[in-house]
Amino acid sequence: MSEEQDRELRKTGAGLMEYSPEGIMPFGPVHPSLKEPEYFSLLLEGEKIVDVQARIGYVHRGIERAGQDNTWIKNIYLFERVCGICSFAHSIAYSQAVEALSGFVVPKRGRYIRTIIAELERIHSHLLWLGLVGHWTGFDTLFMWIWKDRERVLDLIEAITGNRVHKSYSTLGGVRRDLPDGIAESMKKEMEFIQKRVDYYSELVRTEQTIVVRTRGVGRLSQDAARRLCPVGPLLRSTGISRDVRVEDPYAAYDEIVPEVKTSNEGDIASLLKLRLDEVADSCRMILEAMAKLPEGGYKIAFPRVVPRGDSVFHVEAPRGELFYFVRSAGSIKPSRVKIRTPTMANILAATEMLKGHTLADVPVVLTGMDPCFGCMDRLSVVEAGSGREWMMNGEQLRTFGIEYYSGKG
Amino acid sequence: MGRRRVGKAFGEMLRMVWARPVTVKYPFEPAKVAGRFRGKLDIDPAKCTGCGVCKNSCPAGVIEMVKIGTRKVGDREIENRRPVFDLYTCISCGQCVDDCRFGALKLTGDFELAVFDKESLVMKKALKIVE
Amino acid sequence: MNLTPLLVAEILLFPGLTFFVFMAFILEWLERKTAARVQGRRGPVVAGPFGIVQPVADFFKLSMKEEIVPEESDKFIMRWGPPLYFAAPAAGLVFVPVIALSALIQNQFDLFFMFFILSFTTLMASLLGYASAGRYSTVAVGRLVLQYSSYEIPMLLSMIVPAVLSGKLSLSGIVAAQSGHWFVLFAPVGFAVFIIAALAELEKPPFDIPSASTEIVGGWMTEFSGNTLAYVKLTKNLSYVFLSALSATLFLGGPQGPIFVSGAMAAVVLHTFYFTVKLLFVAFLIFAIRTALARVKIDQATRLFWTILTPLALVQLGVAVILGW
Repeated sequence: MSEEQDRELRKTGAGLMEYSPEGIMPFGPVHPSLKEPEYFSLLLEGEKIVDVQARIGYVHRGIERAGQDNTWIKNIYLFERVCGICSFAHSIAYSQAVEALSGFVVPKRGRYIRTIIAELERIHSHLLWLGLVGHWTGFDTLFMWIWKDRERVLDLIEAITGNRVHKSYSTLGGVRRDLPDGIAESMKKEMEFIQKRVDYYSELVRTEQTIVVRTRGVGRLSQDAARRLCPVGPLLRSTGISRDVRVEDPYAAYDEIVPEVKTSNEGDIASLLKLRLDEVADSCRMILEAMAKLPEGGYKIAFPRVVPRGDSVFHVEAPRGELFYFVRSAGSIKPSRVKIRTPTMANILAATEMLKGHTLADVPVVLTGMDPCFGCMDRLSVVEAGSGREWMMNGEQLRTFGIEYYSGKG
Repeated sequence: MGRRRVGKAFGEMLRMVWARPVTVKYPFEPAKVAGRFRGKLDIDPAKCTGCGVCKNSCPAGVIEMVKIGTRKVGDREIENRRPVFDLYTCISCGQCVDDCRFGALKLTGDFELAVFDKESLVMKKALKIVE
Repeated sequence: MNLTPLLVAEILLFPGLTFFVFMAFILEWLERKTAARVQGRRGPVVAGPFGIVQPVADFFKLSMKEEIVPEESDKFIMRWGPPLYFAAPAAGLVFVPVIALSALIQNQFDLFFMFFILSFTTLMASLLGYASAGRYSTVAVGRLVLQYSSYEIPMLLSMIVPAVLSGKLSLSGIVAAQSGHWFVLFAPVGFAVFIIAALAELEKPPFDIPSASTEIVGGWMTEFSGNTLAYVKLTKNLSYVFLSALSATLFLGGPQGPIFVSGAMAAVVLHTFYFTVKLLFVAFLIFAIRTALARVKIDQATRLFWTILTPLALVQLGVAVILGW
């Protein structure tokens, strides 16, 4: 397809539907490199990607709506199930939004413990992504090694919170349990181990030629494009823009344990690798610092069942970027609206932009360079085929639309 | 600091040959869990008073209060109830354990919840009246 | 050449088909075990001692699965292609000397037949991929053919090196010429080039480009299932044996060994032992390379073969011409 044709097609507003189906490579919803169902149509020219169209909504679960039927405390366990990796980020974002609404202040020890778990979670999330980069580039040995080391962090999380994934550790007004006895020594041991491994992996991904040729200059996102497409988290930081909620709007104990914001000017996958490894090292430092400074005292306050009327917005720095919670209370035992904006939602446009001009071989590693969590992101919007007009619907409109749609189908 | 070349991982690979595998032979050997692990729920029927706080606190709707008899308070008949747990839908969050003021509930380290029959995961232990 | 009953039995059983299929299963098991070992895992443990029966179990399980033939595929090729694909490395292996210094079947020019086998395997793979008419298979076949056209020249050049050194064009003749001094001593570069090209032929990392699962699902095998897939996978393992055997024959002296004994039976045992050890050595070399590297892209692979390995193989050939002369 020539550039003129391309411009013509863009001018008329037609999407990928206009192209011949032969040139379109389906990527998803079921594909070995995507762990969650999401559909990307790649318009190929040989191996080169000309255009990408993302279609989301395969795992929309209606969690926001379900949250309106639960009491405030039950919602903790619901919202941490939005994401399997950054579940603690979700639970503290929600807890802190509700705490801000009621005006209660969490005891200092509770905030420190929250910080420690949030950073442990960042380590395990980043290690997960780093291992998967190995898998996507066909380097399964790296994948196994990194996940082997990640297992130690998960064991640590299990020892503290009682579960590896859904930690159920934060509650309204603090954390549910104190740190177990003797955790400080094992924490120190594990953090030193992780630090050592991170040093090794930094060296490996920088010097192993086959990884370097697969990641350097691949999936480059320029700073201008980043400003235009508004990605968040490591993806944004890799373009040289220093943004970190932990520093700019400190929550939990981040005002006392200050993270070091890492940036890079490359914006490619190699710089993302380095950035995330550096962040893991920084998290290790912060955890040890927090353990050393851990104040005595209570870790939790009693929290009332009813939350006063009002709106509250809270954002935290989840491992993948800025996670945003809006909570509205009508003064009852249930929230009347909870809105979640997960980091993947902000990043997906940038990821599709990054893909253009690369080859099919780069798709897995570029598409997932943002560390996607499609399950967290999915939402429902209706697109009219042909015109490309889209809109959001409320429940009643959706119902009428469904009736009309299916009556046409007989 | 080193130079870029192919095959940087060989050294670590050789080291791994002598290292112990991380995989545990789980179904053939027992697996260990942490002390705080939140596994299968257990109830001590002797301590349960049937107040129903656990039912109200459960986010997954696992608990159902079942009538097991009546008692007389003054001149009124009051139902005696005990909780029945459908552990198949339990998410092991432990909120009921936190909320039970009588200490009747606890989470055990048992994580083997795969069964052939869903019914066998319905825990009716509390229905037996312990006097 | 006349087919005596003994020869037929040998072709079908001991140093022939059955032996090599057995070796194919053993190699798969070894590959999985060694990869698991260096990755901190255990690999197969359940079936048999140390899971040694696992590849066989996988093969039979897969062959009993439902077979789905895509509607738009070329049914004729889908049906008759896999047996031909299987026949290629199986036929090639008969020309490899195992129990004696000469192979079961030999003629003066069987090195050329090896060239034919190597290209025929790829041809069958691309035919099967195209015939199955899948989107992913089509892309994979494009990659396969491009990769073949890049690794073929260095591979053939490195295979000519032993022929030049020995002055023979038959595998048996090349083996006989290596008594006392293996060609790897004179042609280490040729050996290295052949191993790297073998990785590409076998679609192993870093050259598993035509079957890269994270990019194009199953590569050209995406649309195969059930029995056919079981045989296609077996064939890939058999090719593995074939290429290992070929490099052991061409560069490591095949069944030649340091100690010789008289007596027919003892010689057979010793020769088989030497051959198997060399085959496993080459296979381990391939395991080590494939576990330590990431997959490269097709353009990078092509550039590597055309700009680096082809000149190297040419230089090696020139050295071999001088040495052989």
